[in-house]
Amino acid sequence: MTTTRSLSRRRVLKGAATLTCLGLADLAFDAAAQSKGKVVVGTWGGDYARLLNKNIEQPILVAEGWEVIQDQAGDPERRSKMLAERRLPRGTTDIQGLSALNMFQMHDAGVIDTIDYGRLKNAPNLLPSMQYPYGVGHIYSGKVGVYNPKLVDPAPRSYKDIFDPKRGDKLGIIDIQYQYTLVCAALAAGGKVDELEAGKKLLLECKKAGARIYPTNEAFAQGLKTEEFGTGVMWKARVVQWQNAGINVEAIVPAEGALAYVSGFVIPKNAPNKPGAYAYLDAMLDKRAQEAFAIDMGYNPTVTNAIVAPELNKRIGFTPEEVKALVDLDYGYMTRNDVALKEWWDKELKG
Amino acid sequence: MVGQGAQRLSLDPPTRRLTNEERGGSLLMASTLLAPATCVVVLGLLVPILILLRYSFNKFDPRLMMLEAVTLENYVKFFTDPFYTNVFWTTLRVALLCTLVCLVLAFPLAYVLARSESRHKNVLLMLVVLPLFVGNAVRAAGWMTLFGSKGALNASLLELGVIKAPLQIMFTERAVVIGVIAVNLPYMVLTLQSVIEGIPRQIEEAAFSLGAGPWTMSRRVLWPLALPGIMAGAILCFILAMNAYATPVLLGGPQFKMMGPLVFGQFRLNNWPFGAAVAFVLMTATLVLTGAANLLVHQRYGRGA
Repeated sequence: MTTTRSLSRRRVLKGAATLTCLGLADLAFDAAAQSKGKVVVGTWGGDYARLLNKNIEQPILVAEGWEVIQDQAGDPERRSKMLAERRLPRGTTDIQGLSALNMFQMHDAGVIDTIDYGRLKNAPNLLPSMQYPYGVGHIYSGKVGVYNPKLVDPAPRSYKDIFDPKRGDKLGIIDIQYQYTLVCAALAAGGKVDELEAGKKLLLECKKAGARIYPTNEAFAQGLKTEEFGTGVMWKARVVQWQNAGINVEAIVPAEGALAYVSGFVIPKNAPNKPGAYAYLDAMLDKRAQEAFAIDMGYNPTVTNAIVAPELNKRIGFTPEEVKALVDLDYGYMTRNDVALKEWWDKELKG
Repeated sequence: MVGQGAQRLSLDPPTRRLTNEERGGSLLMASTLLAPATCVVVLGLLVPILILLRYSFNKFDPRLMMLEAVTLENYVKFFTDPFYTNVFWTTLRVALLCTLVCLVLAFPLAYVLARSESRHKNVLLMLVVLPLFVGNAVRAAGWMTLFGSKGALNASLLELGVIKAPLQIMFTERAVVIGVIAVNLPYMVLTLQSVIEGIPRQIEEAAFSLGAGPWTMSRRVLWPLALPGIMAGAILCFILAMNAYATPVLLGGPQFKMMGPLVFGQFRLNNWPFGAAVAFVLMTATLVLTGAANLLVHQRYGRGA
C-alpha cells in the first residue's frame, strides 16, 4: 500500500492567504516605521515642480520620512479645485503654491487657514514682508525694466521711460502679464496701484505708436532676441535666465520702485494632513532649499539666513533701498476688478 | 419560369413572424450590447454637458467664482457685445474657409490614392497619416519657426531678393488658416479616399462609354456618389476648425481671437458662468450648422446622396 501526499486546492489557497496576510502585515509595519505620512502639494508643473522636488522634497522631506505627492496644474485650475472642495470635510491637497495675489484671493474666499508661525522653526528667519497671515512667501522677485542696449539709448531709468509713447515702437508687452503691465503703466503715468485709468491711457498711446504684444514670456524673449523690439518689463529672475541664454538684455530697477512678485504657499482649511503641510512650509524655508532656489531659478530667498554668492546677488538681488521701495499690488482691488481689467485689455488694447 | 428561377435564387432569409420570446431575447441582447457605450457617453459626455449648461445660467462673483442663479445675462452679454460676436464671426469664417480649401486640396489627392493600384499605396497612405503622429501644438511650433520675421520663409525670400522687408505672416489670420488646413487636411483625404474607393470604377467607365467627358463624369457621377463622404469629411473638418485651440493661440497671437481660446480664457479667469455660456454658443452653432448642411444636401440629392 502506498500513500501519496498531494497538495489539495484548499491547502494551496490556505497557504497563499497566510503568506499574503504576513506580507501585508510586514509592509504595513515597514510603512509605519519609515513614513511619517503623505503630503499632497499643489503646484505649477515644469521647472518649478522639478525644483521643488530637487531642492525641498527629496533632500529634506523624503529624507525625514515623508511621502510627497505633487498635484501639478495651472493656478486657475487649482484655485477652482480649492473653491469646489470648500464644502468637503477633507480636501485633496495639504498645501498649495500660489502667487501673493492668488493667496489673497483664496483667503478672501475663506478657503485657507491662518498660518500658525509658532509651528515653523524657520519662521524667525523669514522676512517680515513675506509673513502673510494666510500664507508664507517662498521666493520673490521684482518687475524690472528690460532693454537691449543696442536698440535703446539712452538706457531707461524708470517705468515712465519704458512706457514712453515717443518710443512706443520699441516697446514689447506680454499678453499673459496683463495685470502687472497695467499696474506698471499706471505707476509710469503717475497713478497708483488702485488707480489704473492713467495707465490704460498710456498703454493705448504706446500701442498707437507701434508697441507689439507677445502672447507669452517665451515669445517675448524670442522677440527680444530677434530685435523686433528693444524694451519692456519683466521679472528680474527671468532676465537672468535670458542673459544666460545669450540674449542681449540689461535690467534696471525702476525709479518708481519695482512691482513685487511673491510666490508662496497656503494651507487649505480642509487639508487632510496639516502637520505634513507645516513640515513642507518649514522645509521650504530651510536655508539649503532657499539657496538652491536662488541658484537654480534666479528668485530671491525670503529668509535672512540664506547666503547668496555676491556675483549672483548682483544679478538677481535688490539693494536694501530697492527692497524697501518694492511696490505691492492692491490685492483687493485686483481681485474685484480682474475680469473687467482683462476685458479692457482684450477689447480696447488688443482689439 | 423566370419568376420561379428568381424565387429559387433568392438569398433573402425566409420571412416569418418572431415569437414574443424571440423578440424579448433580441431586445435584451441589443440592450446588453448597447449598454456599455451608452453608459460611457451618458456619464462622460451628457452629464458634464448638462452641468455646464446649468453653470451657464449662474452669476459670476470675483470672490466666490460662481453664485447659484437662473439668469440669461451671460448669453445676453455675448450676443450684445460686438467684441464677442466678432470673435464668433471670425471663427465661422476661418472654419468655412479651411473646410472649403481642405475639400478642394483633398479631393484630387484622395481620388489618386483611391484609384491607385501601385504596390506602394500603403506607403502613400502612411505619408498622408504621418502629420497626425505629431501633436497640434508641436506642429504649430514648427510653423512658427517657418513664419517668423526671421524664420526660414522670410530669410529665404529676403536672401533671394524676392522681398525687401520680412512678410508679416505670424500672428495673422492667414497663419491660422494655413495652420488649421495643415492639421485638418489628412482627415479630409482619408474620409474621401475611403468613400471613393467604394465607388466601382466600372460606373465611371460606363459614364465615359456613354460619351461623358472627365468633367461631366466627375460632376454627374463621381460627385453625387461621393457626397456622403464629402459631407462626412467636411463636417469633420468644420467641427475641428470651429473648435481649434492650439493653432489660433500659437499662430494667431494675442490679437487674434477664436471661440476655443475665448472659452479657455474665461475659465482661466475663473469666470465659469460666462465660459460655459460661450462654450454652449459654440457647440450649438456647430451642431445647427452641420445639421443644416446635412439637411440641405439630403434635400438636394434625395435619399441617394
